[in-house]
Amino acid sequence: MAVCDLLIIGAGAAGISAAVSAWNAGCRDILLVDRGEAPGGILPQCRHEGFGMASFGHELTGPEYAAHLIQQLSRTDVRFLPQTEVLSVSEDRKAIVSSRGTVDQIAFARLILAAGCREHQIGSLPVSGTRPAGIFTAGQAQEMINLRHQDLGDEILILGSGDLGMIMARRFTLEGKHVIAVLEQQAHYGGMARNYHRCIEAYQIPLRTGVTVSEIHGRGRISGVTIKNLETGTREYSACDTLVTALGLIPEQTLVQDIGERDWLYLAGNCRHVHDIADSASAEGILVGECAAAGLHLGA
Amino acid sequence: MMAGAESFDVAVIGGGLLGCFAARELCRWRLKTVLVETRGDVCTGISRANTAIVYPGYDHKPGTLKAEMTVRANAGFEQLCRELDVPFSRCGSMMLSFGEKADAVLRKKYLQGMENHVPGLRLISGEEAREHEATLNPDVRLALYSPTAGTVNPWQLGIAACENAIQNGVQLRLNTSVTGILADSGVYRLQTDRGELSARAVVNCAGLSADRVHALLFPSDIRIAPTAGDYLLLDRTAAKPSHILQYEPEEKGKGLTMVPTVGGSLLVGPSERENSLDYAASEDGLASVRTLAKKLIPELNLEDTIRSFAAVRPIPQYRDGRRINSFVIEHPASGFWSLIGIRTPGLTCARELGLHIAGQLAYELDAQSNPAFNPVRKGIPRVHELTFAQRKQFAAQLPDFGEIVCICEDVSKGEILEAIRRGAVTVDGVKRRVCTGMGRCQGARCQQKVLELLSRTLQIPEHAVTKDGRGSEILRERHGSL
Repeated sequence: MAVCDLLIIGAGAAGISAAVSAWNAGCRDILLVDRGEAPGGILPQCRHEGFGMASFGHELTGPEYAAHLIQQLSRTDVRFLPQTEVLSVSEDRKAIVSSRGTVDQIAFARLILAAGCREHQIGSLPVSGTRPAGIFTAGQAQEMINLRHQDLGDEILILGSGDLGMIMARRFTLEGKHVIAVLEQQAHYGGMARNYHRCIEAYQIPLRTGVTVSEIHGRGRISGVTIKNLETGTREYSACDTLVTALGLIPEQTLVQDIGERDWLYLAGNCRHVHDIADSASAEGILVGECAAAGLHLGA
Repeated sequence: MMAGAESFDVAVIGGGLLGCFAARELCRWRLKTVLVETRGDVCTGISRANTAIVYPGYDHKPGTLKAEMTVRANAGFEQLCRELDVPFSRCGSMMLSFGEKADAVLRKKYLQGMENHVPGLRLISGEEAREHEATLNPDVRLALYSPTAGTVNPWQLGIAACENAIQNGVQLRLNTSVTGILADSGVYRLQTDRGELSARAVVNCAGLSADRVHALLFPSDIRIAPTAGDYLLLDRTAAKPSHILQYEPEEKGKGLTMVPTVGGSLLVGPSERENSLDYAASEDGLASVRTLAKKLIPELNLEDTIRSFAAVRPIPQYRDGRRINSFVIEHPASGFWSLIGIRTPGLTCARELGLHIAGQLAYELDAQSNPAFNPVRKGIPRVHELTFAQRKQFAAQLPDFGEIVCICEDVSKGEILEAIRRGAVTVDGVKRRVCTGMGRCQGARCQQKVLELLSRTLQIPEHAVTKDGRGSEILRERHGSL
């Protein structure tokens, strides 16, 4: 069984920042665990700009921002455990972790959960029709295109105009794909104005508000959807070969949901609440890292 | 290829639940059996969506084959699932009434059940029902409690039967469609798109196509009218009942069932639609399921829904449109058996039906019993079911079983590779064997990893990997270099 003073689950913006700040605050026995091969969390797949203004004073891409954080991390002796899945966390302050060839327990004094978030997916919506291939969440599509260099389809519909939806609309366009439209249930786009200007307006991608996807068509692969106008109720068919859903993010708190508040447990970053920008997840990580190092407790 | 047809004793047409069990039960005799399936994997037709209930047997008229088989099958389900190493939960069921008409139905089913020798049946008050399930609607006034009802995962059961059949010598021919059947001096010659097969006997378990397969050789007055039903699947965290709940409506055809599945999620449905061959969920159907679910358990949080889908049932009817309630087992000539329109309780009775047909065929073919028959199949080891100590030891011996690929359902790379070794060729084929992508993110985080493992293991390009068979490719072929 491994032992540490401070266990940090998740090596994304919040987790790395928390590790570095706890180290700087004097904590010398820190274990940072992540399922990825390298620290960075979701940042490496975020090839777009918009990172780092608050933290580093100039605009960076996700991978550049991650590189800055990793550089800070490299100046510490925080132990990093890659490719490791945390299976459970128990009230007696032990985590069970699983990795290739090894399943082990880690006893810790304090825990920072920086597990990020997961995406809502289309199964949670009352959408009728078939369940064919060719439907991806925006984050999934982002990973597949940016990290795996895969080609998902040619005629793209995007449901949801949050930041991720708009950024992926541009990404597909830059990949030479035809984004038919970004569909938004609300009357206004969901993400930040700068993403609307840079991703939607600048590339003249049609944004349709007040509509949703009510039905999916296609047998093997998706062939189209029914778009429903939420105000008038009218429906129209739109052909597509790919549907990308950007339906919002859910803080990933599964590991601690049965534990509740504890004076040894800290949450940082998107698993605490969804942050608009990575810099603010980092800022929260820094604060939480200091508190954890000092043994101070923050309210949930 | 033209070197004469390969010959077998029995050809089973259709690799769904029924075909897999027919093939498995035939192994109890010394018969050379081939199982022929149109698609690239077994249990990919109507077996892939189902209410997943092992019925107790009070739904059917005393003396009918359905009643007899259901009661017998139910009693033997623990043993069957132990043999095949498939999870089975005897969670019990409550059929719930909110009004007079439903009360009468429950009383009738209770008496019917007593006559069918269903064990443990009781009519209980709404109050007692709420003692069993605290979250039930307070308007429930009467319940038919049945402790023997249970639930099993339909495709896991079918795949297990198929693996057991193969282990006992059955040959599986995938991607093979039967296009014609000829009777030729005591032998049936099956024309397929992959050459000819000959067999002394044929078992037609072709599911939605069983009527057409039958008609390849024999005239029949029976056809299949498919009926679709819509379902919701709720996350394992949902406040779910511990029993199967069945809502007996005041108005015919508007019932609902909730099943706490062996996988931990809650299955809710179906709302039925006639004459639909479409595996497409309907808006009205889903809306009705949602309304009724809230009626049964008012505090159920439908935001825990992670998936909705449609299932198709093969309802048999005469050409004039009259529906047939019983299992249709056609035996137009010696050695030719057709199972047409086997719907509810088809999952419960799949093994009994297989055994029934196998016994009949063994007699017709004068086959000897097979002393080497081994009914035991070992399932894929599931890391999630192991204790910490077992898991630690297991990962140390087999490193792939420490590498977690599906986060929601806690499935390792080792399990996925074993699923592929045992015949999974698609993302959904892996899902049906080891539950990848069954959880709350529905594959958003693991699909690409499963896809990569399929591509590497099967040595096919990534763009050739499908979700669930031809036409459901997930990626486009990348042209040009990166």
